[in-house]
Amino acid sequence: MSLLHVEQLKYRYPNRSVLALDEISFTVNKGEFIGIAGRNTAGKTTLCYALCGLVPHFFKGAYGGRILLDGDEILASPLSKITSKVGFVFENPFSQLSGAKFTVADEIAFGLENLGLPREVMHERIQDSLHMLGIEHLRQKNPFDLSGGQMQRLAIASVIAMQPEILVLDEPTSQLDPQGAEEVFTIVEKLTQDGMTIVMAEQKMEKLAAYSDRILLLHEGKLIQDGEPAAVFSREDLMELGVEPPIYTTVAKKHGLRKESTGCFPVTLEELLAFDLDEPLEGLFPVQEKIETSNIQIEELSFSYPDGQKVLDSITLGLSSEPIAIVGQNGAGKTTLVKLMKALLIPSDGRIVIDETDTKATTAAKLAKKVGLIFQNPDDQIFKKSVLDEVMFGPLNMGIDKAEAKSLALQQLEAVGLAEKAEENPYDVSLAERKLIGVASILAMDPDIIIFDEPTMGQDYEGKLRLKGIIADLHSKGKLVICILHDMDFVSEVFGRTIVMGQGKVLFDGSTKDVFSQLDIVQRAKIELPHRYQIARAIQQKREFASPTS
Amino acid sequence: MRNMTLYVHPENGSPIHRMDPLTKMLYVFTSVAISYLLPSHLLVSLVLAVSILLLVDGKVFRSILPIIGVSFVLLASILVVQGFFHPDRATVLWEIGPFTLYKEGFSIAFLILLRVLNMVCAFGVLILTTKPDELVETLVQKGLSPRFGYVLLSVLQIIPQMMTLTGKIMDAQRARGLEMEGSLWVRVKSFIPLLGPVVLRSLAETRERSIALEVRGFNSTGKRTRLHELPLYPYGVAAKALLAAILLTVIVWRIWS
Repeated sequence: MSLLHVEQLKYRYPNRSVLALDEISFTVNKGEFIGIAGRNTAGKTTLCYALCGLVPHFFKGAYGGRILLDGDEILASPLSKITSKVGFVFENPFSQLSGAKFTVADEIAFGLENLGLPREVMHERIQDSLHMLGIEHLRQKNPFDLSGGQMQRLAIASVIAMQPEILVLDEPTSQLDPQGAEEVFTIVEKLTQDGMTIVMAEQKMEKLAAYSDRILLLHEGKLIQDGEPAAVFSREDLMELGVEPPIYTTVAKKHGLRKESTGCFPVTLEELLAFDLDEPLEGLFPVQEKIETSNIQIEELSFSYPDGQKVLDSITLGLSSEPIAIVGQNGAGKTTLVKLMKALLIPSDGRIVIDETDTKATTAAKLAKKVGLIFQNPDDQIFKKSVLDEVMFGPLNMGIDKAEAKSLALQQLEAVGLAEKAEENPYDVSLAERKLIGVASILAMDPDIIIFDEPTMGQDYEGKLRLKGIIADLHSKGKLVICILHDMDFVSEVFGRTIVMGQGKVLFDGSTKDVFSQLDIVQRAKIELPHRYQIARAIQQKREFASPTS
Repeated sequence: MRNMTLYVHPENGSPIHRMDPLTKMLYVFTSVAISYLLPSHLLVSLVLAVSILLLVDGKVFRSILPIIGVSFVLLASILVVQGFFHPDRATVLWEIGPFTLYKEGFSIAFLILLRVLNMVCAFGVLILTTKPDELVETLVQKGLSPRFGYVLLSVLQIIPQMMTLTGKIMDAQRARGLEMEGSLWVRVKSFIPLLGPVVLRSLAETRERSIALEVRGFNSTGKRTRLHELPLYPYGVAAKALLAAILLTVIVWRIWS
């Protein structure tokens, strides 16, 4: 008998007119790894909620069909019984902490105490899960002092310790840097090998393809396909459904390489390398046209926080002429650097001159016309009742009259594709769309320099495509674009110049191509190689291995 | 600041750290109550001296100083109001320009000052030497609802996180040209755009946290257990009896005298 049996599942959130889940049926057997793919708003999160009983026990609304968990119907079981069998880990590592425990070990114990387990059993399980997640050394640390990746591993440890039969993960790496994400994927891989039943929604298709036995492809609440990764990712209409296949599949499609046995495209690097193909290293990275733009001069810049912690150390840079990417792991000082450029922070030493203005002699608000900084989380700024008012807020602050502010705002909403949602409440649109509202609200001030902090985080294929368009458009209008990024594929597709930061210093500043060809820099900065570059290198190495004399 | 706990743990602990939270709570109650029951400066000073001795014994005396510093404004205002304006003023103590400090008012102010200082120090004995989770667990064992206990503890960790969040939101609004530096009016005006995101983000986080709590069985109805055994304090009964006896004696003495 299947562990999880979903039959004709339908669900609609309260006060909504559209179904979030629409007639979904599938089964999950013990030990299987099921991936869930789909664009933002496809229904992935809602399906995860339904599998662990939060729909309909926590989120009310209209519910139809049924889910059987180990033979018991979820609708009729109390939530506490369901959660003892299904563990759930979601995006935001911070809000998964209980907030009432002061050490990592106690945090793991929180769920076990609620289950009423004897003390010896708790100690045993805490030790096992700390060991399994590789966080034994963090045992006595305060959970809030951990990095994002560590926090997410703690969240998984806390759930695993409760020994659920199924682990449901909803985009557990979307808010983590590449290193943090890799830490989580390593754990997921280990759990899979240990035979745990896993259901995971994820945007990183390369990972889903590598781990999943089957993939559920969702679109607008409907299950479009339930099949093996190769079959799902070989669909011709995948992009129309807002899902970008693994990069290996895209390359294979370009070369028309199908597996003879199944007629499907390869979905992992190993499968791709089984074919004889040529993917040259040259031409992988863009060369952007250099034009006249505003100029940022950073001279001997150092910055320490009031507690004495030094974040930036003697940085000298000149930024102008073309879109520039800033990369490096969390804590490298990237966000601090752009906050200094925007005069949100004042240099401890050295200076930043923007065209003619020293940032020490101005305020962030006064710099609004010159420098626009788009923050990672759009919800940090939204407070107006309509999308249009939200976008008009910046221009009005700059003293522009209402009519002109409105026309500027509408123009930018058009540019980000949200013109028809101008009168809606910003909180009624999706997060990806709110992110674009954040972009429009800065662009409406028409600054000469636009800085994006992590624009691709949590964006699906279409969101990234739109961002690429916006950056190209700004560049063509003579604006200077600077972008902090963790997504190396995006870096390698859009930016000609990349600055690598690590431990408060500039480790490298040069062409994007040169960054990734210097492996010591890549390792020191703990960044990943872009997937296309990995493929090209692997092919080259394979050739060298096959004919070592040539 | 990652959490708001004031708990200080010196190496090897201290006798006060080993004392059980309930005894310390009874100490706070007794100490504060008798400092208000006792009428003379000398006796209240003695009570204060005991609190200070306990702080020294607990190796946390230095940590109380900043807290006393914070209450300095309150103490100074008591001195000013009572010393200069107490209705029973008669005997002049000092004259500072047009202001006259009276002995009667000063005497009352000094007594209040001793009592407030003792209150700060007595609470210091409890707060600085007791782990918050042990304190709350003790209360839960004595009948406090576990949910309320959770709220007490989570506030300590979550308020500092909210302060960090507010900083982020301020930056995002300044980046959109909202001036927050300058006159008081400019600052007041900039407050409204902060409120929306702070409240909504906090609500969203609260919802997510309540999902996390559900998933981890916080609402299960079965009997809860606890990872850490609360250490047994061998002198607990004796200490509590002594404190109760002192309190009773003072009450009886005040009624009869």
